[in-house]
Amino acid sequence: MAYSEKVVDHFNNPRNVGSLPKEDPNVGTGLVGAPECGDVMKLQMKINPETQVIEEARFKTFGCGSAIASSSLATEWVKGKTVEEALSIKNTDIVKELALPPVKIHCSVLAEDAIKSAINDWKKKKGLEVPAAEKSAH
Amino acid sequence: MAEPYTITNPPLVCWSCHDRTLGTHFCSSCGKLVQLRGGIDYFTLFEMPRKLWVELPALEKKFLQLSWKLHPDNFVSASEQERELSLQHSSELNDAYRTLRDPVARLEYLLGIEGMRKEGEHKQQAPPELLEEVFELNESLEELREAKASGGDLAGLQTRLQAAEKSFQAQLGEVDARLQSAAREWDAAFDAKADEGARKKLLSRMNELLNRRSYIRNLVTNVQKELQ
Repeated sequence: MAYSEKVVDHFNNPRNVGSLPKEDPNVGTGLVGAPECGDVMKLQMKINPETQVIEEARFKTFGCGSAIASSSLATEWVKGKTVEEALSIKNTDIVKELALPPVKIHCSVLAEDAIKSAINDWKKKKGLEVPAAEKSAH
Repeated sequence: MAEPYTITNPPLVCWSCHDRTLGTHFCSSCGKLVQLRGGIDYFTLFEMPRKLWVELPALEKKFLQLSWKLHPDNFVSASEQERELSLQHSSELNDAYRTLRDPVARLEYLLGIEGMRKEGEHKQQAPPELLEEVFELNESLEELREAKASGGDLAGLQTRLQAAEKSFQAQLGEVDARLQSAAREWDAAFDAKADEGARKKLLSRMNELLNRRSYIRNLVTNVQKELQ
C-alpha cells in the first residue's frame, strides 16, 4: 500500500510535535489508543479561557505513518479554532484530506477521539460540563 | 440468527440427488459431498457446539477423520463438481482447524461470528487506564533506539525496559486468567441455555479482555524486539 503524498509530508515534517505542561490549567490533554495496532496518541492544546480559542497544539504519537499524519493534521487544524469549532472536526474530514485507505480509517478516528478527549480534559479542569457520552468513552 | 444453542444445519437441496439434506459435509440421502453452506462457521464444520473449552486430542481426531474423508485424493476420478467441492471442504476444514486449536484465535473467531468485532458497531477500545503506562513505555523504547544509534547509556534504559516487560508480562498473565474464567462462564451459560442478555454481557466482557490482551501482547513483543 502506498501512502498519499500528504501523509508522507506530515510523516516527514510533522507539525507541532512535542508537549505542553500537563498541569497548566489552560492545557487539555487527550491520550487515546487503538487496540488493534497498539498505537498511542497524545494530543494537547492550550486554550484561552476568555475567548475559548485554541492557541497552541502539540502531539506525540507512537504508531504508523497514518496515525502520525492524522494527529499532525489535527494539531494544524485545531490551532486558531474555538473549542466548538474544533469539536466539529470529523474523522471523515481527516480521511478525505489525507486520502487514507480503508484499513487506516481507524487512525483518523483516533485523531478525532484525541481532539475530543483533550477538550474534555480542559473542560473538566475549568469545571465545565462534559458531554456524558464522551465521558464514558474515554 | 437461528436459535443459538442448536447446531443443526439449515436444510440444503443436494446438487446430486435433489433430496433435502442436513449433512454438513455429505448428503444424508445419497452420500455425495454437499455444497458448502454460505456463511457456515468453523464450529459447525466440526459439528461442535459454540463452546470455548475444546479437548484438543478430540479435535485433532475429528480433524484427521474429516480430512481423510474429504481429501481431494479420494475424488481424483470423480466428477469435476465433486473434485471442486472436496477442495473447498478440505481448505475450509484446514482453516477451521488452525483457528479452533488455538484458544485465542478460537475466542476471537467466536466473538467475530457473534458480531462483536465489527468496526463501528462495537468500537474497539484500548484500555484507558493502561494508556499512560503505554505512552511512557513507548518513550523509553524511543530513547533506547536513539541511545543505540548514538552509542549512549544503554544499561540504564535496558534495566528500565526489562522491568516494564516484566510488569506487562504479569498483566498478560492476569488477563489470561480472567479470560479463562470468562470462557468457563460462557460454556456454563451455553449449557444452561442462558438468555440473550446474559450471552451479550459475557461476549462484551470477553471482547474487552481480548482487546486488552492484544494491546499488551503488542507491547511485550515491541519491548522484546528492542531488548534483543
